[in-house]
Amino acid sequence: MECRRKSKGLVFAILGGLLAGIILMSLGSGQVKVPLIQTLTVIGTQLGITGLPGAALTPEQTAVVWHIRLPRTLVGLLVGAALGVSGAVMQGVFGNPLADPGIIGVSAGASLGAVIAIALGLTASGLYYMPLCALIGALLAVGLTVALAMKDGKIPVMTLLLAGVAVSMLLGAITSGILTFMNEYRLREFLFWMVGGLDFRRWEHVFLAAGPVTVGIIILCLLARHLNILVLGEQEARSVGVPVFVFRLLLLFVSAVTTAAAVCVSGSIGFVGLVVPHIMRLLIGPEHRVLLPACALAGGLFLVGCDTLGRLLIPPAEIRVGIMTALTGAPYFLYLLRRAQKGGGLS
Amino acid sequence: MTRENQDALVVEGVSVNIGERTIIHNCSFKVGQGEFVGIIGPNGAGKSTLLKSLRGMLPLAFGQVSVFGHPIHRLGDKNAARLVAYMQQDVNVGFGFTALEVVLAGRYPYLEWWQNETAHDHHIAKEYMAFTGVEALADKPVNHVSGGERQRILLAKVLAQETPLIFLDEPTASLDLVYQEEIFRYCQAICKEGKSVLIIAHDIKLAAKFCSRLILMVEGQIVADGVPRDVITADNLEKAYGLHSAVFLNKVTGNLDIHTYEACATAGKRRSIHIIGGGGSTGDMMRSLYERGYRLTAGVLQAGDTDADVATAFGIDVVTGQAFSEITDRQAQDNRHKIACADLVLLGNLCYGKQNLDNLQAAFSASQLIVIEDTPIDERDFTGGEAVKLYRELVQRQQVTVMSSAQFLTKIEHYEGEKDASIYS
Repeated sequence: MECRRKSKGLVFAILGGLLAGIILMSLGSGQVKVPLIQTLTVIGTQLGITGLPGAALTPEQTAVVWHIRLPRTLVGLLVGAALGVSGAVMQGVFGNPLADPGIIGVSAGASLGAVIAIALGLTASGLYYMPLCALIGALLAVGLTVALAMKDGKIPVMTLLLAGVAVSMLLGAITSGILTFMNEYRLREFLFWMVGGLDFRRWEHVFLAAGPVTVGIIILCLLARHLNILVLGEQEARSVGVPVFVFRLLLLFVSAVTTAAAVCVSGSIGFVGLVVPHIMRLLIGPEHRVLLPACALAGGLFLVGCDTLGRLLIPPAEIRVGIMTALTGAPYFLYLLRRAQKGGGLS
Repeated sequence: MTRENQDALVVEGVSVNIGERTIIHNCSFKVGQGEFVGIIGPNGAGKSTLLKSLRGMLPLAFGQVSVFGHPIHRLGDKNAARLVAYMQQDVNVGFGFTALEVVLAGRYPYLEWWQNETAHDHHIAKEYMAFTGVEALADKPVNHVSGGERQRILLAKVLAQETPLIFLDEPTASLDLVYQEEIFRYCQAICKEGKSVLIIAHDIKLAAKFCSRLILMVEGQIVADGVPRDVITADNLEKAYGLHSAVFLNKVTGNLDIHTYEACATAGKRRSIHIIGGGGSTGDMMRSLYERGYRLTAGVLQAGDTDADVATAFGIDVVTGQAFSEITDRQAQDNRHKIACADLVLLGNLCYGKQNLDNLQAAFSASQLIVIEDTPIDERDFTGGEAVKLYRELVQRQQVTVMSSAQFLTKIEHYEGEKDASIYS
């Protein structure tokens, strides 16, 4: 026990260190290289901290770090954390290591919301319209899925899964239907949304996502002990007095809102919610009170890392982060699957 | 909440429907504190459904379940979990949760939603893990331990809930015999502390050995309820399991034991045979003949004799005499009456003393007699020659056939199945 606690502490320390490193790297690297000192000075100055070793700053460096890279990195952290934590929660609720928020219709709903915003031309009239539409779409989709699956005040997991698949298919069909009537310019816009990215993210995006994502993650972490028991199965949970229905509903909605809030500013990004909880579970075990914070850190780390890598690989072009996560996540995930098969089981 | 002298569980007229089907019909019983109740019955009798609905996990169609005077369906989730712990049949502990983490789940009903487990909770969890002997597995993932260890971990979890009433749904399924007994022994120890345990068991013998009371269920109804020796009877076993059996007290183990055999079509329809035995000489023959459907009587057997036990186990009409005392006139008369009624009489390879010499004399009244001779009569005579004389005279008679017990048993095998087979043709 003692040894395990120590190793958990170590995992968190390493995650924290890596996270700090990758943040600084993502702020400093790119087409305009900004040295570490200057990067820190820019942040310090902007936050109004005085008494720093005043390194000389060019206005360009300030603009690049503060207005372009920092929002981008922060959005990356928020989205990564949201996806990682929600993924772990969904896997717990469904008792299935392959579940992620997409499974109850979050992604399909968000895509439909986004495509409606684009089709109506709302994207041109304001920055907030598309994220808001995506958020509303995601929540409506989850609401529909849960409503379809609910019976006698219960949400059977299997029915929920099937309802999620059905709702996703339906919304996907509507999305495709709308797409066929759209002109090329708008199609391109939608494509950019579908392949999630962090480019051109501004402070407005940070502000939009920060509230719901942080609140969502905090709530989920507070519910972690209850999730531990839900994972043991409905009957086990009920036999020790867990109000299964209430907690299941609460966990589903909070993680759906958190994911939706994240996805609406970044576009759809796959594999984070699947790979991150899986690796973290291997490293520090399934106890959600430890697992969820670890997934938040690791999710942010993974997404910002992928984004930075995507910017550096083929300059001056950029590989969008949604592609990077899939490119790095999928092979690793397949490797995990193979290993698990040899070991004789997934979980 | 005073629990003194209160029934732990009161079940009144409970019926449960699943879909359109009624699974439990009008069940009523009470469980006192410290009782160890085994629920037995064939597959599909509704045992698990009953236990689940007693725990409040299934809605009742009719009736009421009260736990220490509180209707279970109106108790809050946590309050119910502080009174009743329930261990289900198949718990799937995924994601590599460790034994300690699973056992700590038992402390859930005592924590506020924002609280974490305290040192006290850890202490309790460890204590019960020590009780079921799994403390060394605390940090091991539950999906990496053996079946027996897993069940003991889950039992520790149920105990960590510290409830006065405990429901266990087949905790011994798929375990080795040693582990099965172990689980029952733990339960017995728990009941000695005044807690009540309801356990669904598929092994009747084990349940009879350890439980203080048994409830037999068939097709959603309680058919028998009482101490094991009243519930485990040949009649009940036939009703519940369609099983032909003899139930007897095993003198070696001191436990109820069950001998089962295949039912035969001619049950009770064949000729009647009277068996004169004693000293364990005719037990095998009694069993073979009974299982093949012959109507049997026996006499005069001494109480406590193995032959007498076999006869009692199969419910054979037997004349019993007191051990180490002479056959009385009354018993002698009874014996001769039974001999007269029987189509055939079988005289076992018994030893003769003063006490049972009348058995040999009674054999003379048989119209058809088979004498079993495995050892010469001289070696079996403890009457100083009197028995030898009588015996020699007896075997001279025309209606008497002499054979060894092996020959006899082969003969019955041989005639098995033949219509109206007779073993003395």
